[in-house]
Amino acid sequence: MKKNKILLYTVVFSFFLLIRIFSAVSQEDIETVDDSAFKKLTRPPVSFFHDEHNENANIDECNVCHHMFEDGEKLEYDDSIGMECSACHYSEPRETEADLIRSYHLQCSGCHLKQKTGPVMCGECHRKK
Amino acid sequence: MLHDLFSFVRGPMVWIAFTVFTVGSLYRLISMWRLAKKKDSVIFNYFSIFFAIRSIGHWILPFAGVNMRKHPAMTVVAFLFHGCLFAVPIFLSAHVILFKESWNISWWWMPDMAADIMAMIVIGCCLFFLGRRIFLKEVRYLTSVSDYLILAAVAVPFISGVWAYHQWAAFQAALVIHIVSGEIMLMIIPFTKLSHMLFAPFTRGYMGSEFGGVRNSKDW
Repeated sequence: MKKNKILLYTVVFSFFLLIRIFSAVSQEDIETVDDSAFKKLTRPPVSFFHDEHNENANIDECNVCHHMFEDGEKLEYDDSIGMECSACHYSEPRETEADLIRSYHLQCSGCHLKQKTGPVMCGECHRKK
Repeated sequence: MLHDLFSFVRGPMVWIAFTVFTVGSLYRLISMWRLAKKKDSVIFNYFSIFFAIRSIGHWILPFAGVNMRKHPAMTVVAFLFHGCLFAVPIFLSAHVILFKESWNISWWWMPDMAADIMAMIVIGCCLFFLGRRIFLKEVRYLTSVSDYLILAAVAVPFISGVWAYHQWAAFQAALVIHIVSGEIMLMIIPFTKLSHMLFAPFTRGYMGSEFGGVRNSKDW
């Protein structure tokens, strides 16, 4: 009786372990837009496939998105690769998380609205699982 | 297609809706003021700020009046309804963020879970009002088709909003319906029974003035 129970637990445990491993493997290429400045997420995180997106959007230059500004001017030959958006867009004491959210939204859906393609509605990016 | 529609209803259409609401409200208030001056000038003689505020104070608190105590269900529903009706659109995270995106202004927003529950309360209250119009004969007697349409105009933005938030089937279409129906609701406020939003303080205030200042009695 006791043996059966142990066996049952082992089977159930292995099953969930396998699911976990498989889902981790299959999600390897999924990236989510992530910023450590967001303490508590209001909406679900946004999935973003970097290479696929840039191929579809015909973006070759990194600083189209990873831009760098100085005195309000965009630097043509500089970029902000490796920096979190919050390094600049949530860096002043008077700024709130709303400012950072605004920067993200204008960067993504702002461009999509201009280009008339790509997700623009809340739930199109912030997908519920 | 949905893309173009979306950028129109979240862009120019918002300006149209707020303009119609603001200008329409001012027009209604001013023209009503003029009409009262012409046909009912006695209200200007008896209007009293003190008695007006005293009356409004009693009617704005749940169960502070006899009639509210006589109809407890209606009282609870009416207060829940109006509270949620204003709080959810103003303090919803998604709405605040849209203001932040467009005008770079923002304010406190409530947790989405709370907004979700409160939106469902609004929908539940609308069902209560609908049932009341259908089943209570004294209310049915006073009900016309426009009353059902106005009720729908208030319910649809909340139903489609909950729909879009939960991302149920075809939520993109639901979001467009949500925005358009919200704009329609805003635009019809000055020109339908929803104008009680503008006139209630004046009608209540005058009742309070007449009961308090002339008849020396309570009106609650």
